Amino acid sequence: MSTPAVSCLREALRRSFVTLEKQRSVWRSVLAECSPLMDSLGNLAEQMSALSRVQLSDTPLRVFPELRERLRFKLLQAADSVLENMSCKMTGLQAVRDAISNQVSAILQLYEQNSDALDLLAVTERSATVPSVADMLEWLQDAERFYRQQFLQRKALLQTLRLDDLPLLESAPRRWKSLESPSSDQRIRDTLCKLSFFMESQ
Amino acid sequence: MRSLRLVSVDPSDRGSQRLRLGPGLMSALGLRLGSPLLVPVPGGSCLCTAWPRSDLTEDFLQMDLKCFSPGLMSQVPSQLILDPSQLRPVPCPKLKAVSVTVLVQSPDFRRTSARVVHELVKELLKGVSVHQGFVVNLEDYETQIRYVVLDHLSPDSGGSGLITSKTSVEVSKVQTVRLYKSQLQDQQTPPLGGLEEVRTSLRDMLQLPLLYPNTLRSLGVSCPRGVLLIGPPGVGKTLLVQKVVQEVGAVLVVVRGPAIVGSRPGESEETLRAVFERAQSAAEEGPCVLFLDELDSLFPRRSGSSAPETRLVAQLLTLMDGMDRSDRFLIVGATNRADSLDPALRRPGRFDREVIIGAPTLQQRRSILSVLCQKMPVGPGLDLAELSQITAGYVGADLSALCREAAMNAVRENVKGSGHQQVDLKHFLEALKSVRPSCLRSSLGRTEIFPLLWEQIGGLEEVKLKLRQSIEWPLRHPEAFVRLGLSRPRGVLLYGPPGCAKTTLVRAAATSAGCAFLSISGAELYSPYVGDSEKALAQLFAQARACAPCILFLDEIDSLIGSRSNTQSPNGVQTRLLSVLLNEMDGIGLKTLERRGTEKILQAGGGEELHKQDELDLQEVCNKDVMVVAATNRPECLDSALLRPGRVDHIIYVPPPDLQARRSVLQVRTSSMPVDADVCLMELAAQTELYSGADLENLCKEAALLALLEENMEASSIKRSHFLRCLSKMSPSLSAQQIKAYLTPPR
Repeated sequence: MSTPAVSCLREALRRSFVTLEKQRSVWRSVLAECSPLMDSLGNLAEQMSALSRVQLSDTPLRVFPELRERLRFKLLQAADSVLENMSCKMTGLQAVRDAISNQVSAILQLYEQNSDALDLLAVTERSATVPSVADMLEWLQDAERFYRQQFLQRKALLQTLRLDDLPLLESAPRRWKSLESPSSDQRIRDTLCKLSFFMESQ
Repeated sequence: MRSLRLVSVDPSDRGSQRLRLGPGLMSALGLRLGSPLLVPVPGGSCLCTAWPRSDLTEDFLQMDLKCFSPGLMSQVPSQLILDPSQLRPVPCPKLKAVSVTVLVQSPDFRRTSARVVHELVKELLKGVSVHQGFVVNLEDYETQIRYVVLDHLSPDSGGSGLITSKTSVEVSKVQTVRLYKSQLQDQQTPPLGGLEEVRTSLRDMLQLPLLYPNTLRSLGVSCPRGVLLIGPPGVGKTLLVQKVVQEVGAVLVVVRGPAIVGSRPGESEETLRAVFERAQSAAEEGPCVLFLDELDSLFPRRSGSSAPETRLVAQLLTLMDGMDRSDRFLIVGATNRADSLDPALRRPGRFDREVIIGAPTLQQRRSILSVLCQKMPVGPGLDLAELSQITAGYVGADLSALCREAAMNAVRENVKGSGHQQVDLKHFLEALKSVRPSCLRSSLGRTEIFPLLWEQIGGLEEVKLKLRQSIEWPLRHPEAFVRLGLSRPRGVLLYGPPGCAKTTLVRAAATSAGCAFLSISGAELYSPYVGDSEKALAQLFAQARACAPCILFLDEIDSLIGSRSNTQSPNGVQTRLLSVLLNEMDGIGLKTLERRGTEKILQAGGGEELHKQDELDLQEVCNKDVMVVAATNRPECLDSALLRPGRVDHIIYVPPPDLQARRSVLQVRTSSMPVDADVCLMELAAQTELYSGADLENLCKEAALLALLEENMEASSIKRSHFLRCLSKMSPSLSAQQIKAYLTPPR
């Protein structure tokens, strides 16, 4: 039993999952570019704290005037440029998230429009190669929630950073890494694997 | 429809706001995928979106708590059976604007990152269905923002709505989760009985600086920062603090002893500093109380040795001194051994005020009981005034244990089969046997007396009357005593020849008075250590006062206490004990730590009808002292200072039995013996001149034994001849000369 509404919805879902797969690889590549940046940010923070600890007057470097202030300025400038780079990357991540969110909201809207023609039996009907509409919607929502959560956590991390709070800055790369959630990512990959037949059937 | 079992949520659904239910039920309720539903559970309700279960089974529910009423914050529903008709679909139109309160985890975040909160909250709330007044749980995002409370929705259509990316979010307040939770608990605790005065003063101290900060500033005074609560265990010190904190809506930072003390040197001090910092940051949001329970164990008196406690005390002193006037938090300490605290802690500027909570008085016990009995199905015959009278010496904890025990008794009886479930006086009386007052728990001289009625003592009518006057009357008729300006006697001395029922009389008096009864002997009092006996006696009096009205019985007082005039060693233990006794009976006053309630002075209402309430007041005023009852057979050995009025008010001579008395003693004694008809008790009484009560008892025993001896264990009755033959062999233990010596009064 395949009413026109169901087949229309399935087609839309198929397109969404293809988009999801594409956006997922974009997300991963952007994320891979972020981690060296975060490392260098942590490095800069370490340098800054080292600078604040060292007694420059005890070293041969004391002949240089205002060395501490100059070094500090340099480091801050470098940190600023790193953060600027990071915010560029964040816009990349945001684009991924928005693309997925738009897909999901569009497909939910489509479901809402056709919901009179779709009773629960039709929505929950599944076969060996084609999962049910409800399941697919659920997976899409889960994926969207995952990317939204990831993006928000990373954004919150960056927003709470302050250049005068060195311990927080030093721990930032570690916390950035800890935000990765391999199990959720794995779940999305599994979902896409499960759907490979459905996505290839044209 | 079949009922539904609520099972715990699938991990992959966490944060999705989904309510998983069977597709059959979904179509029966007319739901689509993602339709919002209101689910009522015990303690509140929550808003979810419907979704079919992936295994398509009916009968089970899985609910992700994302948006719920505040009551569910502390208690998460689990293992419930729900009726499908309770699920209610609600319309969720798109919202234009919401105003929210944001609850964050750490106070630091609240200070530093206020600017990013708005942006984050808007992102976090996108796509969530919300309800007016509900709380949205955002813990799964693992940011500092934990919850969001929906204060106001617009447009307000039925209370629910969906937040989209176009909804404008207004953050009205940022609070910590802890403060919100403590404010939430406000309404849920039962009232506190009998501690009104202390509660009011503590509340004032917390609220005044908050309500009138300008007044205090213009007066140029700093408000008190420290309160020390002193009182015996179980009077409700900890409960009081918790209650007041909830009433004021303050944050409570509790310090538990073991949590502070660390193994490494310096660790304990570090923890203490961290606690103070925590209190300080909590105080920035609103009133805050730092509560140090069991203060004496943490900060004992500093001694010469460099014990780790010394450093901890020093740290506390510096921290308390270092508090600014702007630090708006109050330190409350509680202890039951104020003497063992370091004296430096107890000066103004540290613990400014000391509040003493004594063992509850009659009135206080009554109000505690009325609070405790509010929730119990109490029988109509239960008189709380009566119950509070017989629970002398019980503190709050004891009373709640008593109520629990009584309720258990009622339940036990109910199980046996008598239909109605009600707690009556008889259940309480039964519980009284197993729950004893904790004031007396470790006391010396607690004795179980075997009940004895006045009628079981033969003769001595005059002595009995005098004893009743001084012991029973003040308890039974306080209004008459107050009317005539009488006070209860402090002490009664019974003297007389040995074996004339002095101890037995006291037993009967204790039975009829029905108050606490302590009896002490030299074995308990004397100790090889210097000063130990005196301390024990003073402590005994303190404990007896705590559970007044109380009778303290000193048998053979001459050997226990002695006299100052005719002893060989003027500084002996006996002399020192005597001085303690004199002081305790009529000293300059009580120790401040023994204060109980407020002093009440009552004038007698001239002849008018007294209400029940007044009667209780009278009772309380009249019977707040300990009565000492002493017995001796060598009154001349007693110190004259002890025998003056004001200490021993009544000196009662217990004479050897006269003819009539001897007859009635014999009658009482032979009432349980099969006596032959030819035995004439009057004749026996006439022949037993100078016999004491104990002698007469012995005579009856000997006669019975003789009867058994003669008739080979088959005697069925005791004959006159047995009595007479025994009498011929015995001699009286008293002599006329001895009795004459007693007749000169000792005072």
